[in-house]
Amino acid sequence: MSALLEVKDVVTAYGKIEALKGVSLEVQQGSITCLLGPNGAGKTTLMMSTAGILRPRSGSIQFAGAEIAGAAPHAIVARGIALVPENRLVFPGMTVTENLRAGAYQRADKAEIEAHIERMFARFAPLKARATQLGGTLSGGEQQMLSVARALMSRPRLLLMDEPSLGLAPLIVDEIFRIIAELNKDGTTIFLVEQNAHMALKVANHFYLIEQGKVTFSGDPGSLAEDEVIRRAYLGSARA
Amino acid sequence: MLVDLIQNTLDGLTAGAAYALLAIGFTLIFGVLRRINLSYGPAIMLGCYAATWFHVQFQVGLLVLAALTLAATVLAGAYVERLCFAPHRDRSAIAAMVASFAIWMQLEELATLVLPNHLYAFPALYEGGPLSLGPFTLRAEALVMFAVTVLACLALQRLLYRSRFGLSVRAVIDQPVAARLVGINLPWVFVRVFAVASALGAVAGYLIVASAGQVTPMLGMWSTLKGMLAMMLGGLGSLPGAIVGGLALGLIEAHSQWFFGPQVRDLTAYFLLFALLALRPSGLWTTPRHG
Ligand SMILES: Nc1ncnc2c1ncn2[C@@H]1O[C@H](COP(=O)(O)OP(=O)(O)OP(=O)(O)O)[C@@H](O)[C@H]1O
Ligand SMILES: [Mg+2]
Repeated sequence: MSALLEVKDVVTAYGKIEALKGVSLEVQQGSITCLLGPNGAGKTTLMMSTAGILRPRSGSIQFAGAEIAGAAPHAIVARGIALVPENRLVFPGMTVTENLRAGAYQRADKAEIEAHIERMFARFAPLKARATQLGGTLSGGEQQMLSVARALMSRPRLLLMDEPSLGLAPLIVDEIFRIIAELNKDGTTIFLVEQNAHMALKVANHFYLIEQGKVTFSGDPGSLAEDEVIRRAYLGSARA
Repeated sequence: MLVDLIQNTLDGLTAGAAYALLAIGFTLIFGVLRRINLSYGPAIMLGCYAATWFHVQFQVGLLVLAALTLAATVLAGAYVERLCFAPHRDRSAIAAMVASFAIWMQLEELATLVLPNHLYAFPALYEGGPLSLGPFTLRAEALVMFAVTVLACLALQRLLYRSRFGLSVRAVIDQPVAARLVGINLPWVFVRVFAVASALGAVAGYLIVASAGQVTPMLGMWSTLKGMLAMMLGGLGSLPGAIVGGLALGLIEAHSQWFFGPQVRDLTAYFLLFALLALRPSGLWTTPRHG
């Protein structure tokens, strides 16, 4: 395996406060890599920095061998990265179909886009019934599916997911994780932020623990350290 | 009495059509950038002045004048975007608004530098007198104004709901972060939205000065005021609201002039805006967005 995404010494700050204090990690091609960590650790900041919404102060982010740190989000999408953002951020005033079409914004193959939307409806059955409904009127679970489907419409090589199970009922969480495993089997590399460490470690090939803006642990699921990592992901040991 | 009422309604709707166009341009910019562009009117004024200058120099025809107004206004609009809004994109909304005020002064200075008289004649659209429909009269310009506004609204509707550019504009209005995440180039959308808004403003400006038969530097302030008033009456950032607000403003002005006299005409509109902001701050027309 080779690294599809290589993050090195990334520092990202909000004003004077550094939320990432030199983060380094790798996401292997074809893997599901999971980023665990307590609230406020910097997980969303790393996702937003990778997607180009936030500009790192220093450090490097390499995707498929090219430097993308500080590039504009549209340029990063063009390279093959899509983010399912925290809190879903569906387009509330646009229909489900329009949301999906927006996801394919950079693609020019019109006929293939419509076929792709149909495939999304087949995969995410609840969305099909709501095709003409506005995004803002969907339930939380439906919005999460829409957010995932919208990201997939750009046909990313790397899918970033920021807490896709947040606030969802257990049955829907199972569904989301089933979809994650399926997408990965179809060849999409996945970099997943999760609070739900138990579920995440079931699907992941590799995980990192981030605490207070720094990677403090990394390993493979099933290792002896798992319980400790889960405890720290929930509670944040270094806080005391 | 009834005849007057209907006549006033006709006049009000005609003026309202122009206000609606101005308000749509204003609203587009506000919806996409979340910024108030005070230089919107002055850019239109400069466009009309550029056309007037050509007319004074070369006696060009009506269509050429219209095209010149359009081109010059779009250029002036792009200039305003580059100078006031591009540098302050991630920063304070107040800074951008103040910058747009400074550019307003600059554009007015420029206009009076090139054409120093207070007033210039602008070729009329139609030389004949008003048309009469039974007891009512209607100027030919009014019909043109109304027809063009309807066409412009339909064209905009098509652009927003049937094109890729329209999809990107609606996405940015709806959820700007998500719009960037799906790969929409934000700065490029901003520039093009400014161009479209300026083009709509230019159409309104051209029709207004061609109906009036004259142009003064006051057109800038007048357009900004009317456009902003109509936009706020209809609800900030709502496109149907801009149309409703524009027509409402025209009707309010026409009827209050008849009831209370010309001095009170503008006052009524301002008073109503005040009352509206106090009682229904989201505007006459509210869309269930950002829920
Ligand atoms: N817009 C902002 N302005 C200032 N500080 C911010 C901003 N966004 C995040 N922060 C701070 O940066 C740090 C990291 O936040 P981040 O959102 O990346 O955490 P997270 O790991 O995603 O947390 P959670 O699990 O709660 O989503 C936190 O201390 C947070 O308070
Ligand atoms: Mg987060």
